[in-house]
Amino acid sequence: MRTIDGINDKIRQGKAVVQTAEAFKAHAKEQGVAAAAAAVDVVVTGTFEPMESSGAMLNLGHTDPPIKLLECYLDGVPAYAGFGAVDVCLGASQPAVAGRGADLGDPEAVREHGGGHVIADLIAGRSVPLQATGHGTDCYPRTSLETTITRDTINQFYLFSPRGLYQNFIVGVNGGDRTLSTYLGPLQPRLGNAVYANPGALSPLLNDPDLEAIGIGSRIFFGGGVGYIAWEGTQHFPLQRRLPNRTPIGPAATLALIGDAKQMRPEWVRGCYFKGYGPSLMLGVGVPIPILNEQVATHCAVQDADIVAPVMDFSIPRRVRPTFGLVSYAQLKSGSITIEGQPVRTAPLASIYLARRVASELKTWIEAGQFELAAPVAPLPQDRAFLPQDALGG
Amino acid sequence: MKKRVKLIFPKRSVHMPITYRLAKDFNIAANIIRAQVAPNQVGTLVVELSGDIDHLNDAVDWLEVQGIEVSGASGEIVVDEDLCVHCGLCTGVCPTRALTLDSETHRLTFSRSRCIVCEQCIPTCPVQAISTNL
Ligand code: SF4
Ligand code: SF4
Repeated sequence: MRTIDGINDKIRQGKAVVQTAEAFKAHAKEQGVAAAAAAVDVVVTGTFEPMESSGAMLNLGHTDPPIKLLECYLDGVPAYAGFGAVDVCLGASQPAVAGRGADLGDPEAVREHGGGHVIADLIAGRSVPLQATGHGTDCYPRTSLETTITRDTINQFYLFSPRGLYQNFIVGVNGGDRTLSTYLGPLQPRLGNAVYANPGALSPLLNDPDLEAIGIGSRIFFGGGVGYIAWEGTQHFPLQRRLPNRTPIGPAATLALIGDAKQMRPEWVRGCYFKGYGPSLMLGVGVPIPILNEQVATHCAVQDADIVAPVMDFSIPRRVRPTFGLVSYAQLKSGSITIEGQPVRTAPLASIYLARRVASELKTWIEAGQFELAAPVAPLPQDRAFLPQDALGG
Repeated sequence: MKKRVKLIFPKRSVHMPITYRLAKDFNIAANIIRAQVAPNQVGTLVVELSGDIDHLNDAVDWLEVQGIEVSGASGEIVVDEDLCVHCGLCTGVCPTRALTLDSETHRLTFSRSRCIVCEQCIPTCPVQAISTNL
C-alpha cells in the first residue's frame, strides 16, 4: 500500500496526510479502517511519562592538565565515570549525596534531588556544579576538579533510555493496611486508589503491537528533539500474552531510545521525585507510525476499551505480585474501577494532556516538512524470554 | 460556627482523648479531616471544630494549655501552572475531589471551594507543583 520512501516524498512535497492516533481512531471508527488506511499516510502517537531507566552521556572536554575521572558529582549526584577520561553517564534515578557540591539545604532536599533533575537543568540551559576526583596517571595527572558546566560547555550530551518506551504496564493498588510509597506514587491502604502509568490507546507501542512498522533506526520525537530507536529495551518481553487484537495483557515490548539532549526542550524533559521511592525523569516521546498497509492501520485503530492492564497488589513485595485481574484503559480513564465489588478511584501517572501535545507537535513537524520518517535498519526481536534473577549459593 | 484548625501534639499528649473532652467539656464537635498520630511521636490533626463561638475560643485556649499547638487555617493550596505536567497523580489521593482531571482535555483542574487543605496532594506531586501559600 505504501512505502516509507513514498511517504517521505509526500512529506517533502507537503502532501503527506498526518493524523494523531486519536483522530485516526475516530476516523477509522466512522469510516472504517480501510477508508482511513487509504486516506492517511502517518499516524502520530505520543506519551509523557516517567522513564526512570534513562541517563545522559556527557563528555566534559579535557582540562589542562588533563584528568581521568575517578568519581564525578553533578550538582551532588554521582555520575558513573568508568569510561574513557572525561566521559560520564548520569542516571535519572540516581539520588544526590550530601556534601558533594549541591547546595540543597536539608537532608530531605538532598534525597529528593536526583539525576533526572540535573539532566532537566542542563537541558533548560542552567549551569550545574561539578566536583570530581581523578586517578592521577602519567598521562592524566590531575587529581581533582571543581567547576560548573552547562550544555554549551560540554562536547557531547545525549540521552539514552535503556527502557524508554513500554508497551503497556500494570495498575498498582494496595490491599494492605498502610500507605505504600512506590514508583507509582503513594498507594493508599485498603484499595484506596489505583494508579496506571500508560496513556493507553495513545501510547506509541500499543498502536504497533507486533512492532511491524517501527524498528531499530526509526526516527522519533524524543524530549522535544529528534531521537532514534536504538535497540530493544531492557526487560523487552514481546512474548507476553496478547489479546486477539495483538495488544499485550501486561508489560511487554520495551524500546531503548537515544537522542541529542542539546536539542531537547525543558517542557518535554522534567526531573521528578516520588516520595519515599526516589528521583526519576519524565519524558515526552512521540513515534510516527507509517500506514504501510491495512494491518498496520487496523492496529492503530485500537481503542481504550480494547486494551487491558493487570491490577497488581503492591502490599505483597514479591517478584510475582497477586493480581486482581484485568481492567481496560477505558475503565481506568473513567476515574474508577471495581475491585472485588469495591469502587476504587483511578489516577494516571502518564500525562494524557501532554501525550496529546507530543502527538500534535510531531504532526506539525511532519506537515511542515521538518521531520521525515526513517526506515528501520533492523527489526526488533520478537522472541525474548523474561528471565528472573535467582540468587544462587546464598 | 465552624473553625478549621491544625493541632500539633507533643509526644506526651498523643494519648489524650481530645475529641471526647472537646465534646463533653465544651460542647464542640470535632470532625477529623486528617490525622497523623502514632504512639510516642509528635502527632498532627487537622480538625474542623463546630460549636458556639465562645465555646470554640474556650476550647482553643484549653488545647493550648494542654501544650497542643493550634494553628489557624492551614493556608490555601496553590498549584503552580508552570510546573504541573497534568499527570493526575494527585487526583487519586485527594479525598474531596478538589483536584480532578477534566474529562475532555485531561488537564488538572483545582476547585478551591472543595479543598479541605488536608495537604495529602503536596507530597504526592512528583514535580512539586503543589504547595500551601502559608
Ligand atoms: S489539600 Fe487535600 S483536599 Fe485540598 S486539594 Fe490537596 S488533597 Fe485535595
Ligand atoms: S501530581 Fe502534580 S504534576 Fe501531576 S497533575 Fe497533580 S499537580 Fe500536576
